[in-house]
Amino acid sequence: MKKQWKKQWYRLDNAALIFPAIIRKNWNNVFRVAVTLHEQVDPETLSRAAADLKPRFPTIFVRLKAGFFWYYLETIQEAPRAEKDFAYPLTHMSRKELKTCCVRILYYENRIAVEMFHSVSDGSGAMVFLQNLTARYLEIRYGMTVPPEKGIVDWQEEPHPEETRDCFQLCTADRAIGRAEENAYHLTGNPEEGLFRHIVMGIVPTEKLLEKAHEQKVTVTAYLAAVMAEAVQKRQEEEGKPRKRMKPVKITIPVNLRKTFGLNTMRNFALAVNIGFDPRLGDYTHPQVCQLMHHQLAAETIPQRMAGRVTKNVEEQTNAVLRLVPLFIKRIVMRMVYSLSGESKGCLNVSNIGVISLPEVMKPYIERFEFIIGVQYSYPNNCSVVTWEGNTYISMIRGIRESELERLFFSRLVEEGIPVEIESN
Amino acid sequence: MYCIHCGVKLQENASECPLCHTPVVTVPMPASAGRNRYSDRYPEPAQNHGKVLTLALITTVMIAAGISCLIYCLRNAGGAAWAGYVLLGEALVWVCLIMPWLFPRWRPMIFLPIDFVCIGGFLLYVCLKTGGSWFLSFAFPVTALVALLTLAGVAMMRYIKQGRLRLMSLLLIAIGLSFMLIEFFQHITFGTPMFVWSLYCVASLCAIGIFLFIASLIPPMRAYLRKKFFF
Repeated sequence: MKKQWKKQWYRLDNAALIFPAIIRKNWNNVFRVAVTLHEQVDPETLSRAAADLKPRFPTIFVRLKAGFFWYYLETIQEAPRAEKDFAYPLTHMSRKELKTCCVRILYYENRIAVEMFHSVSDGSGAMVFLQNLTARYLEIRYGMTVPPEKGIVDWQEEPHPEETRDCFQLCTADRAIGRAEENAYHLTGNPEEGLFRHIVMGIVPTEKLLEKAHEQKVTVTAYLAAVMAEAVQKRQEEEGKPRKRMKPVKITIPVNLRKTFGLNTMRNFALAVNIGFDPRLGDYTHPQVCQLMHHQLAAETIPQRMAGRVTKNVEEQTNAVLRLVPLFIKRIVMRMVYSLSGESKGCLNVSNIGVISLPEVMKPYIERFEFIIGVQYSYPNNCSVVTWEGNTYISMIRGIRESELERLFFSRLVEEGIPVEIESN
Repeated sequence: MYCIHCGVKLQENASECPLCHTPVVTVPMPASAGRNRYSDRYPEPAQNHGKVLTLALITTVMIAAGISCLIYCLRNAGGAAWAGYVLLGEALVWVCLIMPWLFPRWRPMIFLPIDFVCIGGFLLYVCLKTGGSWFLSFAFPVTALVALLTLAGVAMMRYIKQGRLRLMSLLLIAIGLSFMLIEFFQHITFGTPMFVWSLYCVASLCAIGIFLFIASLIPPMRAYLRKKFFF
């Protein structure tokens, strides 16, 4: 018997607080995860799969609501129906849409895509949801049974309490680490008309990428961040600035804290670190940049430092005076703080979601995964990475006309001896 | 199929490299040969059904309030009396605040001149009704001056992409100087002493204007201001 639906609400987790406050008329923080199957997607089956998963993932099927002091998420009665994908990814999710549902389920030919407002979850959480949506879709479509392993959960059981909790509150330290750091170089370009987003996806063999990263004795994330930082620095040099006027080149890497702290949640649980180099100090060789990126990333992501930085954010959230300030004032303050410092510390994101693993029974049906993060408000490029079955899919999104950064990045990979196959919209 | 410039492998149906835009030298395959990664569906423009209803409601309330005032005045004073101010004031508010919402886009270079003409008309009515003689020597030139500066500012922000900071600095200086002109009109109309309060406005606005003008000549400072005050 179907259980009676009961409206629930969730406080925004610590990382999610900022996103509703900084929504603009033409921009907000949305990202996409997608899977491409070997056969055409049936929208009716997809909608049914989403409806089946709704009770199991209560924090995903939510809408954004405003209280007097804070925003919050409220569960919705019906799961959104699958709709046809747009001509470009991450079309603007308006406030009105967020008040209805913060998640879109899209299909186009063989692809299933989930676009999500960042207050709901982060890339890892969204990818778990997509994997489960795909599993349920395959179960309904082909009558198969997917075992609950490798991220797939039993969709009929109750959600685990730890999946809906704000894990930031559980990993604080006794002392907070401040956020002060120097501003980074700012990428610019001529904005594309009508909020159109260009996507350039580079498909590279993971084995080759690993080989090159291991040659430099660094991780794949550090290696890609190094190549990206070099491409950004070339852009800065092309502007013809004298060296003393150049800005530090810093790449923002979102770090999944689930592994760091051994906690599991379907909410946001990631923290961004900025790693890079200062071109005013001189030229750097490729191995030097790789080593800089690798060691900075390693040093910044140890649990102690992460806990210290989480503490700083949590302290602000739990401050009694700040909590009593009405939302409309908080929103103004948050927007100002975000304008002044939110996006000025890094040049762009390189978000690597890692290797996707799925139960063996699902693999024959799946061609590839995609992960795309939206552009930030003030910087026009972003990059996201996902690995599936021997291929790494590097998606570079931009809201400007110039594709120079993508050209510099991918042609550098080719120069390094990594074959790159390019797709674009 | 590879790009001869970047060395990357391209999609089967690509006509040019998405990175460097180098055209593909071989004959491109038909579009059906390669799979289109995205659909042809574009997001629909946002619709606002409640807008017209709200505007109609506000307009009805305003008309009802205006007619009530007019009837009250006609019955008690035998003429329009103060109801004229109310009716024209309401008309002014409607033209300035409500009318632009009836159009799909706010076109300042059309709406703002209409607004200022209406403001001028309202002031003329007040002047004639009170038997004053301040319209031609004070209200008209001041309204015209404010209209001119407002239109210049709006045109600058909307239509000019380059050198905005420099133009803004010049506009601030012009606004500062216009305060002196307003005080001059005040002097010839009402006989008040010349250049008392306007000098403070001129000094402060010109100082900000000169600072912005200098900032506009220094690229790092210009970039810093742009980054810190983007909205």
